[in-house]
Amino acid sequence: MRILIADDEIMSRRLLQKTLERAGYEVTAVENGRLAADQLCPADGPRLALLDWVMPELDGPGVCREVRKRTEQPYVYMVLLTSKESKQDVVAGLESGADDYLTKPFDPEELKARLRTGLRILDLEDRLVEAREKMRFQATHDGLTTLWNSGVIVDLLGRELARSWREHVSTSILMCDLDHFKSVNDTYGHLAGDEVLKETAKRLLASVRSYDFVGRYGGEEFLVVLNNCNPAYAVARAEEIRKAIAQKPMPSSSGPVPITMSLGLLMSQEWGYRPVQELLQAADAALYAAKAAGRNCVRVARPKVSSADSDPQAHEPIRLRR
Amino acid sequence: MKETEKGASHLTFDHAELFARVDNDRELLHDLLTIFKQEFPRHLKALREAVESRDGKLVAVAAHTLKGMLLNLAASQAAAAVGRLEELGRTGETSWFQDALAAFERDATSLLPQLDACMAEVH
Repeated sequence: MRILIADDEIMSRRLLQKTLERAGYEVTAVENGRLAADQLCPADGPRLALLDWVMPELDGPGVCREVRKRTEQPYVYMVLLTSKESKQDVVAGLESGADDYLTKPFDPEELKARLRTGLRILDLEDRLVEAREKMRFQATHDGLTTLWNSGVIVDLLGRELARSWREHVSTSILMCDLDHFKSVNDTYGHLAGDEVLKETAKRLLASVRSYDFVGRYGGEEFLVVLNNCNPAYAVARAEEIRKAIAQKPMPSSSGPVPITMSLGLLMSQEWGYRPVQELLQAADAALYAAKAAGRNCVRVARPKVSSADSDPQAHEPIRLRR
Repeated sequence: MKETEKGASHLTFDHAELFARVDNDRELLHDLLTIFKQEFPRHLKALREAVESRDGKLVAVAAHTLKGMLLNLAASQAAAAVGRLEELGRTGETSWFQDALAAFERDATSLLPQLDACMAEVH
């Protein structure tokens, strides 16, 4: 465990450093409070600190106050170590944000025991943060595929659409559905069905850029958000995804499972500023047009041109330039 | 050897406590005593100058540093004497500075040869 010692008096630094190194700590020693704050404030700084009260540049309580101003960063356990020992000093030290208070000259065994208390607190904090992060992940991701869940992917789409409107760029929506997925479950079993969904998620992620978003929208339905992409790229990407699913059967514990995917593509710049749900419905309609066209293909959602049109939404087959 | 040292005329530092503080690490103790020998004259000079200038803040700072050094060496008597100067500095009672400094210097005069002896012992 890394620990920071801050003391302007060289004998104290040497004594503390040796005592703590002998106890197995990795010690960084500095001679003033400013250097201590600079070491402790970054997220990757030491999480245990022994601070002298009286120091040049910034005193021990000042260091505590600076460190406590940080938010969303790992907790730092700070012990004030000083020859000040009045009740008022103890109260002022703790009020500044210190976790504990030891008077000089320190007893080595007491010091080590107090630091072990600090380690227990830090361990507890780590476990709480880990549990919170796990819950946050569970609340935002699909449990089977670990893709974004339905609520989050729609939120992300909403943000991307707003941003693309502001910045006059295009966001593309791909509504994707595995063809005849029910028969996979019926033929190969539900375990194989789950394996197909997981493999689909992998192939989708491998087919898009790191800053695109992929979510599980429903049972065997996936939503892909392509940020800031021109129509040609979106069309090519949709076709690449279709091929990535179809070209090789999915491995499963019941053997290889051949499967295809139908896709509905919508490019926001063709639609202007519309509510997310309206665009999702349009992409979904394009997906159903792909299903109706025989599956394993992509259809593009086009907005109606005028009220006189007999077909309010045309769903064009994609044409790739070769 | 509680607050005594062979050949010393009166109490200066707690030999046993000092060894306990360094966990019987003679090399570390030698390092600390070497640092003390190097640093003490400089800080004493600063304290004398602060007393001379009757600057309570400077007196408190210099005395505080010396007190910390002496406490690390289990020299509680000299630490208490310089602690008195620190307190006087904080409260601004300048009229007592000279007397308190003299008392501290008497303790320091007794202490230094004993620390030299201790240093020779752990060398």
